[in-house]
Amino acid sequence: MEGGYWVIFVYCILSFVADSAFRIPSIKHYSFYVLSALTIIEYSLFSLFLYFSYKSRLFKTILIVCSLLFYVIAVINILSKRSASFDSLSASLEASLIILFSIFFLYEQINDPTIIYVYSSKKFWVIIAFLLYFSSILFLFIYAVTLTSQQHKSYWRINNIFDTIKNLLFTVAFAMKKNKQPEPSLENFYPEEN
Amino acid sequence: MILLEVTNPGSSVSLVLFFGTIGMLALTIGLIVFIIFHQRKVIRYQLRLQRMEQDQQKLLLNASIRLQEEERQRIAADLHDDAGPLLATARLYLNENLVNLDKTTQLQSIYNAKQIIDDTIQLIRNISHSLMPPTLKNFGLESAVNDLFQKISGSGSMNASSRFHDYRERLQAETELIIFRVIQELVNNILKHSNASFIHLTQNTSGSKFFIRLHHDGRGITQNDFNKLNKSNVGLGLKNIQSRLKVLHGKIFFEKDMSQTYYKVTIELAKDEEDKLQTPV
Repeated sequence: MEGGYWVIFVYCILSFVADSAFRIPSIKHYSFYVLSALTIIEYSLFSLFLYFSYKSRLFKTILIVCSLLFYVIAVINILSKRSASFDSLSASLEASLIILFSIFFLYEQINDPTIIYVYSSKKFWVIIAFLLYFSSILFLFIYAVTLTSQQHKSYWRINNIFDTIKNLLFTVAFAMKKNKQPEPSLENFYPEEN
Repeated sequence: MILLEVTNPGSSVSLVLFFGTIGMLALTIGLIVFIIFHQRKVIRYQLRLQRMEQDQQKLLLNASIRLQEEERQRIAADLHDDAGPLLATARLYLNENLVNLDKTTQLQSIYNAKQIIDDTIQLIRNISHSLMPPTLKNFGLESAVNDLFQKISGSGSMNASSRFHDYRERLQAETELIIFRVIQELVNNILKHSNASFIHLTQNTSGSKFFIRLHHDGRGITQNDFNKLNKSNVGLGLKNIQSRLKVLHGKIFFEKDMSQTYYKVTIELAKDEEDKLQTPV
């Protein structure tokens, strides 16, 4: 799979394994570490995909710098909040950064004169999946620590719904034919004469 | 970072969470819709540009076909009206009755026929020269331009001069012919429309660019006029210039001198484009 799509494929496998693993009762004792690790892995994979997708050197540099900051903050947070049930800060930071990077990608796409139909590319649908998922769960992650278990249970449906939408959009991206930008045709030189 | 992690459970979490999520989703969907509409706008704009380019190409092509037809008609007329009667006359002198005539008349007829055949040869040579000037073919652009300008000056109606500053190596024959035809067309336009008293041509190079500049003191056109004429159905000669220069990826600029006294026409060619022209594809 070229163009970094293998990253998304690896993410899908990991996501499936992680969701299945959470059904094992003994794992729940380590949920903070597992979720924190998953947040870092998820961020790494998504940012890697975005890194492969960027053409601009500037965006690549911004992504690397922000990623380094993210890792530092995430590690410090894991070490300092061992008693918490969910690493809200890392997850919120991840969501914010991926939203920002996705906007960079879309900005780059609409400014590229060689791209005529942005939505005919697989990458566009992957990025839309990122944007929809992370924008819908950003506030949920920010407020995750303050939620009661009852609220957590009911609000976590937002995460599940948009996780499903995200996976559906990934499926759309994978199901799409290889991106071929339609070239402006010069064959039909005098259309009115045909 | 505290903004990304709310720890105060007293606040109305549900409300903020609900409106925050809805707001973020609305923003995202708005962004996606904007991108799709922007794309459509870009596509429409590109299609319009493409259509304009096609129209322009069509105009140039039509102009070039019309000119080609006119040239063919001119050659046909020259051959039919001049060479045809001359050869017919020569045939009359050399008819079967010639053998029955006396020696002096025979010699006179042969001499007349020879004269007419010589005239015909000269006429055909002139037609051939108008298709490909021999000076251009044998001695290059500088000599061909000088030759052309001498003929114009010789007519006494206009003072024409040229100066080539940097023409040590000849260009490709095809390129030289195109440039010469463009100069001919420009000079022809100046002679026909400008009422100028002089034309001066200079040639120069700068880096990889080859420049030819024509100055004249008559009525001329500016780049705006040229662009307008190029888009209209008139100005066949100018369209012909444009289509010829397109082959060389050359540019042409029409402007008025700083002093507002002279009109300038500058032809700019890239030397590497000239190299590309000689490389067979």
